[in-house]
Amino acid sequence: MNHYRLIIKADDKQVVLERILQVARYRGFLIEGINARVNTGTNIGTIELMVRSERPISFLVDQINKLIDIKDVKVDTNPTQ
Amino acid sequence: MASEKIHTGGSLLFDVLQQHGVEHVFGYPGGAIMPIYDALYDSDIKHFLCRHEQGAAFSAVGYARAAGKVGVCFATSGPGATNLITGLADALADSIPIVAITGQVPTSVMGSDAFQEIDVFGLSLACTKHSFQVTDINDLEKVLHQAFAIALEGRQGPVLVDIPKDVQIANIVSKGNIVSTLKNKVNLPPANVGSAIAMLCHAKQPVLYVGGGVGMANAVDELRNFIDITNVPSVSTLKGLGAITPENENYLGMLGMHGTKAANLAVQESDLLVVVGARFDDRVTGKLDDFAPNAKVIHFDIDTAEINKRRVADSAILGDLKTNLPALAIPLEIRDWQQRCQQMKADFGWDYNHPGNTIFAPAVLKEVSEKMPKNTCVTTDVGQHQMWAAQHMSFDDPSNFLTSGGMGTMGFGLPAAIGAQVSRPTDCVVAVSGDGSIMMNIQELATIKRFQLPVKIVLIDNAKLGMVRQWQDLFFQGRLSETDLSDNPDFVMLANAFEIKAKQISCKEEVSAAIEEMLEHDGPYLLQVKIDAADNVWPLVPPNTANDKMMEST
Repeated sequence: MNHYRLIIKADDKQVVLERILQVARYRGFLIEGINARVNTGTNIGTIELMVRSERPISFLVDQINKLIDIKDVKVDTNPTQ
Repeated sequence: MASEKIHTGGSLLFDVLQQHGVEHVFGYPGGAIMPIYDALYDSDIKHFLCRHEQGAAFSAVGYARAAGKVGVCFATSGPGATNLITGLADALADSIPIVAITGQVPTSVMGSDAFQEIDVFGLSLACTKHSFQVTDINDLEKVLHQAFAIALEGRQGPVLVDIPKDVQIANIVSKGNIVSTLKNKVNLPPANVGSAIAMLCHAKQPVLYVGGGVGMANAVDELRNFIDITNVPSVSTLKGLGAITPENENYLGMLGMHGTKAANLAVQESDLLVVVGARFDDRVTGKLDDFAPNAKVIHFDIDTAEINKRRVADSAILGDLKTNLPALAIPLEIRDWQQRCQQMKADFGWDYNHPGNTIFAPAVLKEVSEKMPKNTCVTTDVGQHQMWAAQHMSFDDPSNFLTSGGMGTMGFGLPAAIGAQVSRPTDCVVAVSGDGSIMMNIQELATIKRFQLPVKIVLIDNAKLGMVRQWQDLFFQGRLSETDLSDNPDFVMLANAFEIKAKQISCKEEVSAAIEEMLEHDGPYLLQVKIDAADNVWPLVPPNTANDKMMEST
């Protein structure tokens, strides 16, 4: 089982967090932790998502990137720190 | 210059729809969408009252697929909205641009378990490309424009806009003229065309594997030009049918679970797959590890998430097919391989000899295909008749064959044919259905009657859920569990009850005259074709089996 940490930047729009969680679950990634906050000045949300899966993280990154309100997805290559 | 006009939310909706060229919508009214239906009363947009919201959604899908436009459907809150869900899921699986408008209970009572309240916004997450809930009238105009832009951007798909009743009633000054388009949401990496050309030049046994993306990208001409220049042997997915000219000598037909023997063998022997707008669906690949085991892959797509999802691409070319496909159109030196594929095509052609006097559905569908007018649009439901239609009918454009590919939704064919007929009123529309599928949206016969749509229905009737029965016989030791439909209604009487002319045939000598009568009839017609319940769809690649190990008979 591989562990990953994603840093996601998203517009602060309705249900964006639910969309990310739904995609993660559906694509076969178990959520181990989540931390989300919004910069009220820019209306940009930052979501830190810890997941684990047998599947390559690119599967999830490509799908989250397709969500309309997502601005950027980065993978932390050292999630155990 | 923007013009300002005072609207209600409801009238603003129709104003925006007209800005996007919408002429027809499909829907069903109810309490929470009444202000929108009140605004419809003053609109020039023609509304087609379906008899179930699922019918409205599938009609919008059929409309979109037949016309290459965005399909629009309406439903009220609660059960109206939930009834749309299957249609939206179907549109998502097949990448069809739909804008679905749902009424919602007033914002003041949302979240209180109000009458006919359901969280359709939450339900939409898994079955739409994107969704909106408009809780402020000031957002409505922008959101509606965004909905159209998102439905059409990149890989197309359904978008839902949920509008509470008070927002539909509220007044707003339209800003006007803010139609927006979106570029592809995802930044696409540059394609390494040079690497792909080198692979194509070195290939000895390449095969072109064509999917529904070609039609979606409006790249049929570019694909055919590519085929003319390369003369590469080609195969098609279910949704790609029509993209390749059926008469092309190097075209081997559909691949996959019910694909032709020639198509599947050629793919298995290939050393290079040029995959165009397709996604290695499990019904195409069979046992994935054994699919085209010696082939490298050049993968053209608009969706980055499809690259390497099921099969690693040696070269990925992302972006618009209309631009990218011509870059690889070069003459190939593959004469021996072409001849081998042509020989397989000749050796493994269809056999229409069928003993006895019972009707052979493949022969009926072949004859319908040969006799139907040019540019006929065929829809299907799901099951044996669907696969027989795919195998034995010919299509000269993807917009002329509408079938539920990804979702495999029984009940699709009849309402999709309604949408197709509305979008193309001068073209013939034929709905091929089965006796199981047609009952799933049989109420749409009332829509055909009301609007006098001249849809021709070919009902392949084996009084069974035929495909499930076939699998029970082949893979479940003949334990026929819940697949008997011998108590179906009298379909001729049923059609007549909707003032639709109908005929039943049950022996071979009746077939030709009945097809001609149906096609010549000036109005809707249902032709019930009784077939032997034991007839199977062949070939069949069993589950988790390589495609070259297909079954060809019991």
